[in-house]
Amino acid sequence: MLSFIKRHKGQTYVPTLCDAPNLKPSGSCRMCTIDVALEEGGRTKAMASCHSMVSEGMHLHTHTEDIQRLRKNIIELVLTDHPLDCLTCEVNGNCELQTVAATVGITSVRYPEGANHLDKQKDLSHAYMTSDMSKCINCYRCVRACDEVQGQLVLGIAGRGFDSHIIKGMEQTFADSECVSCGACAQACPTSAISDIFQSKSIANTEKVRTICTYCGVGCNLEVSKVGDAIKSIQAPMDAKVNQGHTCLKGRYAFQFYNHKERLDSPMIRKNGKLEKVSWDEVYDYIANKINGYKKEFGADAIAGISSSRCTNEENYLMQKFIRAVVGTNNIDGCARICHSPTALGMQRTFGTGAATNSVGDIKDTNCILVIGANPTNAHPVTGAKIKQFAMGGGPMIVLDPRRTELAKYAKHHLALRPGTNVAVMNMMFYYIIKEELVDNEFIKNRTEGFEDFKKQILDINMDVMERVSGVKREDVRAAAITYASAKNAMSFHGLGVTEHSQGTFAVMQIADLALITGNIGRKGVGVNPLRGQNNVQGAADMGVQPHQGAGYMDVTNPLVHNQYETFYKAKLSDEIGLKIPEMFDAAIAGKLKCLWIIGEDVAQTDPNTKKVVKAMKNVDLLIVQELFMTETAKLADVILPGASFLEKSGTFTNGERRVQRVNQVVEPYPGTKVDGQILVDIMNRMGYTQPDYTAEGVLAEVAQIVPFFAGITWENLDINGKQWPVSKDGNDTQILHAETFKRGLGYFEFHPFEETKEILDYEEKYPYILTTNRELEHYNCGAMTRRTRNVEILTEDVVMINPKDAKKKGIKEGDMVCMESPRGKVDIKAHITDEVKKGILSTTFHFPEIMVNNITSDVHDSEAMCPEYKVVSVRIRKSKGVFRN
Amino acid sequence: MSKNLSELSGRKGIQDNLFDKMGKLALEEGTISKKELAKLADEFLMGTANTYGAMSFYDFMKPDNKNKKVYVCNGSACKNSGKQAKLTKRLGKYFDKDEIGHMTCLGRCHENKAFHFEGKNYSDVSKKDIKKIIKGKSFDGSDAYNMFAYNHQVLTQKGIKMTAFATVLSKVFKMGSEKVLNEIESSNIRGRGGAGFPMAFKLKSARDTPNDTKFIICNADEGDPGAYSDRYLLEKQPYMVLLGMMAAGYVMGANWGILYIRAEYPDAVVIIQKAIDKLRKEKLIGKNILDSGFNFDLKIIKAQGAYICGEETALINSIEGQRPEVRTRPPYPTQDGLFGKPTVVNNVETLAALFYIMENGGEAYAKIGTKRSSGTKLVSLDSFFNNPGIYEVDMGTPLETVVEKLGGGFKKEVKGLHIGGPLGGIVPIHKIKDLNIDFESFNENGFLLGHASIVCIPTKMKMMTYLQDLMEFAKDESCGKCFPCRLGTQRAYELIEKANDTNYKIDRTLFDDLLHTLKTGSLCAHGGGIPLPVRNALDYFGEETALSFQS
Repeated sequence: MLSFIKRHKGQTYVPTLCDAPNLKPSGSCRMCTIDVALEEGGRTKAMASCHSMVSEGMHLHTHTEDIQRLRKNIIELVLTDHPLDCLTCEVNGNCELQTVAATVGITSVRYPEGANHLDKQKDLSHAYMTSDMSKCINCYRCVRACDEVQGQLVLGIAGRGFDSHIIKGMEQTFADSECVSCGACAQACPTSAISDIFQSKSIANTEKVRTICTYCGVGCNLEVSKVGDAIKSIQAPMDAKVNQGHTCLKGRYAFQFYNHKERLDSPMIRKNGKLEKVSWDEVYDYIANKINGYKKEFGADAIAGISSSRCTNEENYLMQKFIRAVVGTNNIDGCARICHSPTALGMQRTFGTGAATNSVGDIKDTNCILVIGANPTNAHPVTGAKIKQFAMGGGPMIVLDPRRTELAKYAKHHLALRPGTNVAVMNMMFYYIIKEELVDNEFIKNRTEGFEDFKKQILDINMDVMERVSGVKREDVRAAAITYASAKNAMSFHGLGVTEHSQGTFAVMQIADLALITGNIGRKGVGVNPLRGQNNVQGAADMGVQPHQGAGYMDVTNPLVHNQYETFYKAKLSDEIGLKIPEMFDAAIAGKLKCLWIIGEDVAQTDPNTKKVVKAMKNVDLLIVQELFMTETAKLADVILPGASFLEKSGTFTNGERRVQRVNQVVEPYPGTKVDGQILVDIMNRMGYTQPDYTAEGVLAEVAQIVPFFAGITWENLDINGKQWPVSKDGNDTQILHAETFKRGLGYFEFHPFEETKEILDYEEKYPYILTTNRELEHYNCGAMTRRTRNVEILTEDVVMINPKDAKKKGIKEGDMVCMESPRGKVDIKAHITDEVKKGILSTTFHFPEIMVNNITSDVHDSEAMCPEYKVVSVRIRKSKGVFRN
Repeated sequence: MSKNLSELSGRKGIQDNLFDKMGKLALEEGTISKKELAKLADEFLMGTANTYGAMSFYDFMKPDNKNKKVYVCNGSACKNSGKQAKLTKRLGKYFDKDEIGHMTCLGRCHENKAFHFEGKNYSDVSKKDIKKIIKGKSFDGSDAYNMFAYNHQVLTQKGIKMTAFATVLSKVFKMGSEKVLNEIESSNIRGRGGAGFPMAFKLKSARDTPNDTKFIICNADEGDPGAYSDRYLLEKQPYMVLLGMMAAGYVMGANWGILYIRAEYPDAVVIIQKAIDKLRKEKLIGKNILDSGFNFDLKIIKAQGAYICGEETALINSIEGQRPEVRTRPPYPTQDGLFGKPTVVNNVETLAALFYIMENGGEAYAKIGTKRSSGTKLVSLDSFFNNPGIYEVDMGTPLETVVEKLGGGFKKEVKGLHIGGPLGGIVPIHKIKDLNIDFESFNENGFLLGHASIVCIPTKMKMMTYLQDLMEFAKDESCGKCFPCRLGTQRAYELIEKANDTNYKIDRTLFDDLLHTLKTGSLCAHGGGIPLPVRNALDYFGEETALSFQS
């Protein structure tokens, strides 16, 4: 009834306190009570409209005298246990209790003073979250948000009756509890009982700009409040299709890096070994002269660019255009190389399109979720929370992961395979799907090719060997295979645990084939859904940040395409495939690469085999780094260009479900910095190529002319929730790919046998432990941004996870320093003992430059896409005394 | 209530039950340590706030209960008798003040001076015997009370043992579930827990909701102070109750029957468990019972002291190990109940009546009582009556007959009867003649039959004192979920207390607004029902109560 009334009469027509748009009805406050009659003039019954169903013929009397009396009296009761200090309260003017009290016309509280909770102490223990339970009205919205939205179950209620009160954990503080600081409770709270250090609900924060989060590939919509040029707080808009009022601690709270005192604030040139601040004019001339010189002397291919997935589509487009049309080489690549390049390639091979087939919103339409090599509750928190809700609610979920991740705990099947054996386990799954006759013959016949060969080879695999290498029992694989294959609709999500392997591309093709063999493609609630890591990694590739494909994934070696690009860019282009990132490093070490321009990418900290990366950086003649901060890579630069953060520019980001969304500038760029797109435009012009000044609308309009699936996109029609590509000329977008046909015609089955990685074959004996890498919720990749926010107070360092049995064997205790040594080098790191990892397996993060775990990771790459194998590193461990410095 | 917690709790099935585990852990120390709560949370994939929050709700689990050694009954019958203060004093010889706790109604309303010690109940025992009990000497604490049927013997039939159970059970299987449902339908039986909801309707709804797992729950959380008729059935007619559960379970297709029995009835737990063990031994529960193809098992869940658990959705939350707060409806438990599965919750007496219905047919039962209130009703009388005890009367029997003929009148002067538990109405003596024991008669006269317990309010007791006790109970037992009840019962108690303790006069408009808020706004019958006895008291004892209000 309540939603019916809201729809017809407006959101606040009937006052409520415990109701919230993203929560199930609770029936606590009773403010929404209305009189209901089954016929006109019939006898009425008072019913709480939030949890009563409307039916035809009913007469809803929302404001009878009796009901208004009730509402007023409820509020009066609430006010008997609420401080009346509105004028000094942080939510004064934006408090739901205040609004509702005014609506029902409270003028006085008639009760004599009684028991109350006004002396409850504030909790200011946490880096972000705050509470003042004297302001609590017990609507339980926070508890429900923690449960129904985030699924964390940190907040609860203790006591009963009048003594009922909100608790964190077992009457702990926010800091001591298991709180993940998503802020859903603070946003849900109608008063200031739960809030945050930014006082996000303060009326002072009135000027709001809607934009897109800069962190992961979920693409949360954010509402940024500012006063003047100072950002006050961030909240998540309820009408956001992607995140429906939710976001994580990075999106909501980790924004203070934007005006951090360590922001680079001037272009710099290394002179006599030292980086010195120079003018923009000087730096532009310097770069232009140098690049022109290299071109003349060594040819355009001696220059390369690494564009940034953190930047907008428009900026990525300009970077690849600069490299291709102004420099004249295809040496352009992006960070996707080291994360999801196998996804793009693998899915292109199987389907024809290298992007998510469906949308995250399809979780509500699916009957089974398969999560492979991904830990979304940490790395893609909002999508992770949705998947967790699915599993907590009893939805069958399969998790393939060496670690017992948060999702694995809730999964029906957790296949804890040995790192590097995805292909083996997936082949076992195919084996059982075929054996159990769970294949979708109709789909296979009509929509695919290559199945018969594939089937024959699958049935020939040696299950004993597969079982042994993967460490997963065949019965467990069988049960999981049956769950996936017999679900009406099954969808998969995968992450870097699939791609960052020597057989990464093949594993992606298997995931795609798993969807084909069961017909889980082309409708709601199914499909293959890579969890793209960075906010705009999808967009960077779409814009042509790849050495073999230009803007819109068109083959640069194809003469027709080549012509089209040359005409469009009005420039002479190369028709040879350029260098991939690892090849750039090799070329640099070989002395062939003279100039490397890196935007927003800390390769020295995040790429594998640090020593080699650093050597490459040092070996190029001119290393240009365009950055926000003095990262490990920036420290090696010859030229520094200070760029702008997402809060300081406009453009578009494309999230992991192909949704192109508008990024709106909130504040002016930090003094001394420039919008990255403008830097590129400036240098293009300086080098004689005419490119108009950077505007989001302008560049997007140019992109729409060359990228076919952007044809119908305009800055205006993206509106607040964006569009999912392909967008046809008439502006219609696409939620589901491959509904009728595949881009490549028929879906393609291709068998790949499991092959042990070279890392294990070569080093297993001397380095018997397998180190794999993971992410923590609080930090983002190299941590350049999150380490410059209060997130560092929540998570302070990288640790290595060790199984209790291994720890015991090695005499390692919780918090001990451990030396991990691989054939590449060694690092010392603090031990965290947990059964999240199996015996023989270690796992760690690389968010902090103090450890530089990539000193020991290998440069074994995926055979097809050259994505490095971060996930399997042969190491040995021992207890150590302290930190070893490389 | 959380759907997620329902699901997580239900993952382990009813056999590995969170609430059961919590109850067992609390036995040792009287409460559960944070360490154990954290372990449970981990085991059930919940938050520590969930296990801690649930623990803190219950009288016999919350930290305050630690070190409590003896519990004095503070149910209304015992309180009204005026004998409990002396009992507490006597126990004070053996225990520190903070070792003496309370239990609200041990069901010894017929003789009072009731207390609970080391898992057993005692009542009306001498000073010497108290010493014996405390010193651990063997002592039979069982009680005796009048018990007979005035007309039909439906629930008080003698000699219902396992053989009779087996006979009726095979008859049930022979009839088939549809016929059994028809019989229940034609019996017109309505729920005896207080609401009077037609039983067949619930069974049918659960029967028509397909699911592999379904539950029938016997609500044996007879929390109404003054009521002990369910205790009678549990202790004296265990097979009758269990048969009723099986028949109901058979109709709806349940595979589990759960008896949620209050901790205040330790004998009932023991007796029912013995009966279940015997049934299991004789293969009268388990797989393919009597070759019927019907699989059914029984389990007792011991409650932990919270009146609200008598409300069916709170009871379901309780079994799930959630805080026993009242759920919103819809969804109804028959479609989405325990662990999200179709669930029927019925009162002990309702289920016990099925024995007769199965034995004699629905028509036979329908013929007893009145047209709209068929069958018989157990009535419990407290110690103010000359003949206290449990009486079975046909529905429609005049209240006067119960009071005078069966109860034999009062020992002391009584001015009103509180009938149907704390949420029932207060019947002044002069209204007794207007009432019959049936749902309609009570409703029409502005009272409530409820569970038909009768607690006498002695003339000597001030009505405002009785209301203060009543409101103290209401506030203490409010689950706290809905605003009107959580705040309203507290404020009502405070107003009455202030008026009783000081010269304070209550603003009549304010009090009237408060009662209106409770009645109209509350989520369940706890807050919604408490205004009835208060209004009765103000209406019928206006002269006396007016002194506490502004003129």
